[in-house]
Amino acid sequence: MASRAGQEKALRLLRHLPRVALNNIDHPNPKPASRRKRGAHGGDTHGAGDKGSKARQHFARAGFEGGQTPFYIRIPREDPYKGHHLRREYPPVSLHQLQLMVDTDRVDAGRQIDLTQICNSGLFRLEPLRRQFGFQLTDEGMDEFVTPVNLEVQWASERVIAAVERAGGTITTAFYDMASLQAMVDPERFFKRGVPIPRRALPPQDAVGYYTDPSTRGYLADPEQVARHRLTLAQKYGYELPKVKEGPLTERKDPRQIFFGLEPGWLVNLTDKQVWRVKDPVMSEYFRS
Amino acid sequence: MTTKLHLLLRSASFVQQNLCQPASRKCLHRATQMVRLCSTQAGKVHDTAPAVPVAAAESYAPALLRPLTETVAPSAAAVRQVWVENMDSADERKLGLLELHPEVFAAFPKLHLIHDNVRWQRMYRQVDYAATKTRAEVRGGGRKPHPQKGGGRARAGSIRSPLWKGGGVSHGPRGPKTHFYMLSHSARVGGLCATLSVKLAQNDLHVVRDLELPSADPGRLQELVERRYWGPSVLFVDDTDEMPENLVRAADQVPHYSLLPVYGLNVFTMLKHDTLVLTVAAVERVQERLLRALSIHNSMAVKHTDASLLR
Repeated sequence: MASRAGQEKALRLLRHLPRVALNNIDHPNPKPASRRKRGAHGGDTHGAGDKGSKARQHFARAGFEGGQTPFYIRIPREDPYKGHHLRREYPPVSLHQLQLMVDTDRVDAGRQIDLTQICNSGLFRLEPLRRQFGFQLTDEGMDEFVTPVNLEVQWASERVIAAVERAGGTITTAFYDMASLQAMVDPERFFKRGVPIPRRALPPQDAVGYYTDPSTRGYLADPEQVARHRLTLAQKYGYELPKVKEGPLTERKDPRQIFFGLEPGWLVNLTDKQVWRVKDPVMSEYFRS
Repeated sequence: MTTKLHLLLRSASFVQQNLCQPASRKCLHRATQMVRLCSTQAGKVHDTAPAVPVAAAESYAPALLRPLTETVAPSAAAVRQVWVENMDSADERKLGLLELHPEVFAAFPKLHLIHDNVRWQRMYRQVDYAATKTRAEVRGGGRKPHPQKGGGRARAGSIRSPLWKGGGVSHGPRGPKTHFYMLSHSARVGGLCATLSVKLAQNDLHVVRDLELPSADPGRLQELVERRYWGPSVLFVDDTDEMPENLVRAADQVPHYSLLPVYGLNVFTMLKHDTLVLTVAAVERVQERLLRALSIHNSMAVKHTDASLLR
């Protein structure tokens, strides 16, 4: 980039030079003209060099390095998708979206907002058969989250927990197995099957640690520990922990329960609008354990 | 070259004669102004049109348009000024002064960019149709013409070998070949700015108020061009493609006068014609587009992209 003085000098020079036209411009660094592989100087080996597989058009296979272990064999394999069909997924729901849903009445903040409530809003869809085991709460919009809600999600980070508790709400992380998920995602469809409500299974081995940990508000954790962690978190993030009254904000499900007001083993009859309980003592004991 | 200098001196003296007082120029730091000189003339200029008040003159004064980014205004010394001339008579009248942005009209004359653009404009549409047949494609030559040994002749496997007369070509041109390629955006924009700067620097760029001619007579147009020492070939550039009828009829008769809308402006055409004549509206448009194009990739400064302006 020439300086202004240099540019002015160049433009002043042009005044005294012939008119710039198509027949008098040249390139300072022209591309060399291509040579043909025929005639006096292009003949003989025609650009193929002397002997060898290249001159004889009998090339080695791609990747061959003359016998040295080729790069594509030398470097070990890494399977990026190994076991991906077995890994659990948690589609995200942000705090911003949640606040929006609460404000626009898509979701009832007076009751516990769990997986079923979020699916019933019609805005989110969960596909358990695609290994989606529930929703995770993300921190987008956590600074503007102000509503006290009783939340139950499947995964939440520490900041999100802090944001919810700062607003005066409660949050629990709970696990649902495949059969329970199928029931939760579309309860009406499940009830139409005429199958008793299943007993929710405990989390698998790799998830037990998360759901029994009070710092992640696991549903299997000791409530006293959870209360202590609430306080600790408030101190860590520097907010005043609001008092949570007994009521809608503290209602919790039993670890084996899927729906509020319905126990495992019960059969819901939508046509006759009846709910049938278990009478058999063995079955009853099984479902209640 | 002597002719050039001679022309320069003549135009300088012409200007001298027509000015009683130096043109009163407003502050260069403000947007451009158009200054009426008729009031300062001493009877040399025949002003057939009714006197236009200064307010109206300023109405078609183009602003020194800033590019999309908030850049520093060009220094006063770098800003270029051109006369706005008339087209309604062969006699030259200066209707005002126009200021041009130096980034477009006083850019460094990068000849390599000009060359690149000219080459690109020639090559991207070039198709080489040369095609030869190889020994496999030439008709015949499947059979061994004579036995390997015993003939006293050179051994041969096919009558169409490249060694034989009528045989295939071994490393010949193979079929239609296009030389299409796209020159980078910056090179094309730089080439346009360089060419405009070269034209202005070499006194081959003239600005007129409009291209309205009094008649469709090609002779009158030629007289006008010759009287003003505009080159044999002239390129008239307007901002729309619907040009005044008289000009279209007159220029149609003269092969070396071309008409072009601003959107068709290109380096090759500008160099092919000796003189470039732009209307004020065309200058405005070219300046706006090129300044925008020069700053379009400056991502630090572009905060919001308006899709409609990108067209």
